[in-house]
Amino acid sequence: MGDFALEVDSLVRVYERRGQKPVSAVDGISFSVQRGAVFGLLGPNGAGKTTLLKVLTTLLRPTSGAARIQGFDVVSRPLAVRECISIVLQETAAELFLSVRDNLLTYGRFHGLDSRIARKRADTVMDKFQITSYAEQKVQDLSGGSRRRVQVAKAFMVDTPVLFLDEFSTGMDPILKRAVMGYLREESANGRTIVLTTQILSEAEELCDDILIINRGKQVARGDLNALKLLSAGVYEISLTFDRLPETIAGDIARLKPLRAHLDGNTVEMAWKSEGAQVLDIVGSLSAKGRVLRVEVNGASLEDIFVELTKEA
Amino acid sequence: MGPIRAILYREWKIRATNGAFIFWDMFYPLFYLLVFGVGVNAALDPPPLGANVNYDSFFLAGVLGMASFGIAANSSWSFFLDRDNGIFYEMLTYPMRRSEYLLGKVLFNVCIGMLQTTITLAIGCLLLKIRLLWQLLPLLALTAVAGTAGWFFFYSIFALKIRRNDLFNSVTSVFYFVFLFASSMFYPLGPLPRWFRITALANPITWEVDLLRYSSIGIGAPKQLALESIGFVTFALASFAYAVRSLREQG
Repeated sequence: MGDFALEVDSLVRVYERRGQKPVSAVDGISFSVQRGAVFGLLGPNGAGKTTLLKVLTTLLRPTSGAARIQGFDVVSRPLAVRECISIVLQETAAELFLSVRDNLLTYGRFHGLDSRIARKRADTVMDKFQITSYAEQKVQDLSGGSRRRVQVAKAFMVDTPVLFLDEFSTGMDPILKRAVMGYLREESANGRTIVLTTQILSEAEELCDDILIINRGKQVARGDLNALKLLSAGVYEISLTFDRLPETIAGDIARLKPLRAHLDGNTVEMAWKSEGAQVLDIVGSLSAKGRVLRVEVNGASLEDIFVELTKEA
Repeated sequence: MGPIRAILYREWKIRATNGAFIFWDMFYPLFYLLVFGVGVNAALDPPPLGANVNYDSFFLAGVLGMASFGIAANSSWSFFLDRDNGIFYEMLTYPMRRSEYLLGKVLFNVCIGMLQTTITLAIGCLLLKIRLLWQLLPLLALTAVAGTAGWFFFYSIFALKIRRNDLFNSVTSVFYFVFLFASSMFYPLGPLPRWFRITALANPITWEVDLLRYSSIGIGAPKQLALESIGFVTFALASFAYAVRSLREQG
């Protein structure tokens, strides 16, 4: 077995519906992911992330190309692939008619855990996800956020080498989200490969060692955060806080043609692509419009890179 | 066997800890036998089916057929909900084959069906004094197994194909009404209008109930029963094949 947990080679998935033009949701994507990495799959809505994830988890067959998980082909060895993976889907997929504890125990059974070990592990996981107090309640009686906790908690019942998470933080409060991100880092440090899709780019920025940005089924950019930032050299984030927002500021900003701009109270936030010296000129000219309380200039964030790359595509 | 055991465990946990499922699976058909059956039996005195066959005896097979149909309908509803909330798709990524998934589900249905059949027969014998043909009990058990499995496969197709909750509920409600009443479940077909009789004879519930009736109290024409047996087995196999195809299309 090689060093890669995932290997994807010229993968294509076309949806064909009667009376409609075929749609290539995944269009010739190739990449590989090192074992133990936290891999982020990013892209706007409809980019093909979920379809790609479905192919990798054996839910869908590819139209052409190949994909291997831990060396097992997803088409010819689907059962071996399923033995290597756990998945947290975008939907709140939980057993509604079972209690929280039974959800975890059933999940353990399906993954071949001995019932004594499953019970022990369920207690640990419930503690970790703070769901012990409603262990005996049926999931259908829980709030959406609590159901999500149960769903994500299940993936921690087993030690499958690859864990897929599709928009895992949807419906999670910030405290739990932070905790789960910590657990994911721990899992990765223990050698588990984490593959996550997310629209919340700060999550990917914080968690991922390796990022693939796709749009309309095609690869747009690939690399770690630093490599991606190089792709977007010259993008700056400017934040200016005035004591009172100048009346003409919206028009002044529009004339500068920023990548994005946002007015929030007395604060102007914008991303702009230019040479370094020009940025200082812009800050200077905008500052002259009123009394400035705070100025901040940063390099590009993952969000800027994402917007720029997916816009170009 | 691991995945099949896990499915049986899951289904058992869901059904055994849910009062609504227990009521609809186990007691609803019995209420029919004990309320509707006893009521009609008393109203039809003397019995129109001959001195040896009162309405309770005639209706016993109908209740067994209703139970297999109802259990399959309840399972398909739970199946539909699984798909609707996403757990079905998560389960398809568990380490098991699609065939094991379907086999586990149908095995559970058969177990529930057999339990319900046993309870109904016991009540029929002990409470309503229905005289069963014990020598035909293996045939009755086989018919009950085939009936529960066949209807489960049939309903699974709709649980897997239909996306909308309101449409699924409408379809199952219409099925319930049409399949149950346009059949030999509640009444003998002989005195019915021709169009009704033809419709009922084309209904797989009639085929199943006629076999159950023969194997419980010995009523039925052998030639017609043989044809109905072939018809029902064909129906069950076709439903199985189409259910497997529908399952493979999921993703």
